[in-house]
Amino acid sequence: MKNIKNTKMELSQETMNVGFIKKVETLSGSSVRRCFQCGKCSAGCPMRSFMDHPPNRIVRLIQLGQWERVLAGRSIWYCASCETCSTRCPNKVDLAAIMDALRKLSWDADGPSKESYVQLANRLFINNIKQYGRQYEMRLAAVFNVKSGQFLKDLMLGPKLLSKGKLKMFHSKNKNLAEIEKIFNRIEEMRKNGDAP
Amino acid sequence: MTATKNVLNYSYYPGCSLHASGKEYDESARGLFKALKIGLQEVPDWFCCGATPAHNVDELLSLALCAKNLELADKVEGDLAVACAACFSRLKTTQHKLGENEVKRKQVEQAIDGKVSLNKPVKHLLEILARDFGLENLRGAIKIPLTGLKIATYYGCLLTRPPDVPQLDCVEAPTIMETVVETTGAETVAWSHRMECCGANFTLSRPGVVLKLTGDILASAKRAGADCLVVACPLCHGNLDIRQKEIEEVTGEEYHMPVFYITQLLALACGVNPTKLGFGSMIVSPNPLLKEKNLL
Repeated sequence: MKNIKNTKMELSQETMNVGFIKKVETLSGSSVRRCFQCGKCSAGCPMRSFMDHPPNRIVRLIQLGQWERVLAGRSIWYCASCETCSTRCPNKVDLAAIMDALRKLSWDADGPSKESYVQLANRLFINNIKQYGRQYEMRLAAVFNVKSGQFLKDLMLGPKLLSKGKLKMFHSKNKNLAEIEKIFNRIEEMRKNGDAP
Repeated sequence: MTATKNVLNYSYYPGCSLHASGKEYDESARGLFKALKIGLQEVPDWFCCGATPAHNVDELLSLALCAKNLELADKVEGDLAVACAACFSRLKTTQHKLGENEVKRKQVEQAIDGKVSLNKPVKHLLEILARDFGLENLRGAIKIPLTGLKIATYYGCLLTRPPDVPQLDCVEAPTIMETVVETTGAETVAWSHRMECCGANFTLSRPGVVLKLTGDILASAKRAGADCLVVACPLCHGNLDIRQKEIEEVTGEEYHMPVFYITQLLALACGVNPTKLGFGSMIVSPNPLLKEKNLL
């Protein structure tokens, strides 16, 4: 995908994907169109300083059909799901749910955002559920470091946590593992048949 | 106040962290509930609720995992007691969303190949202590008042937000944690960052984010004159306790602020043996502070 971050925004029937608004609204169960840009979401957002587009601008970009700008940016991957925006919106726009929907749309398209660390962490976390049923933090952190090429990240924390008995090395087999796998498979099947988003 | 409130029984969903990095939360919760004669029976073979990563990219998966866990919990008697704020939020969100959205409920029922059960009341430990057991009874159970401790109560995000879901307390200005902590005789401080986000699971992918956010939280608690923090979520705890040294290195500020789980402090006050409360597992040791206040 070309770097659209610094390109000028041209609004016309050709460049505005209005269908995207509906898509986001259906997935999130929240109105996008109700937003009147008061900016309360961005004012309370703890992650604002890490984002390229603040939350209120994300909504405005969707309203203008600028889906590529939204999905290419890193804002959606820096949302912490703290729910402050959804709590304070005077128009009941559930921005936290919209962020979930945007991440899913980006995730399904395998990107296109470059924020790969958060996506990698999510992928490993979900794989852990499928494989073990529960999270094993040590494994999660170790695999994350290897896969992200940051072999030395938090190197000093590992032994410290281990000595405090905080990192469980061994896992007991969860009796519901087969059932969990079935849930994953059924969802995959439903998506193949078009029964689920 | 009714007198026969000491026979409460709950099914219990500890969540993944309470078996690993948050084990002192599990130990102290069990110790406290035993001392208060509240029964906790762990749901057999519960599994991960999906937490933030699942709902971040796959809502259906997140709802299905929680719905299946709720089904497992149904087989154990009593309302479902949940310790982790994230698990609590996910389970309540699932009940809320599936209760009002029939399309989603049908999808989840197809995914778990069974009926969705939404009737089990899901309660956070705080709620059980403050409402079911009751503040009056809690006050009566205190054996060692924690006089002299100045505590910053930290709610974080998911105990109260969003408005329709957890319904634990007021969404912007809750007091439940303060009222519970104050039954021990400790003092709570008024401070600015008790509802701010700690960065949660960015601790894995983007630790820099966590250092910034938790740095602000610790600075605010210190400004308010607190000696320690109390939390009710293993992720908040991890970010404030495990990463505190790093925060000190980055910001140049010294905190040495122990971060207690609410159950640790209450259990200590209720006379549970301190060696059973996992104080040794905390990275910032609470022992100097507790000794200084003659509580150990």
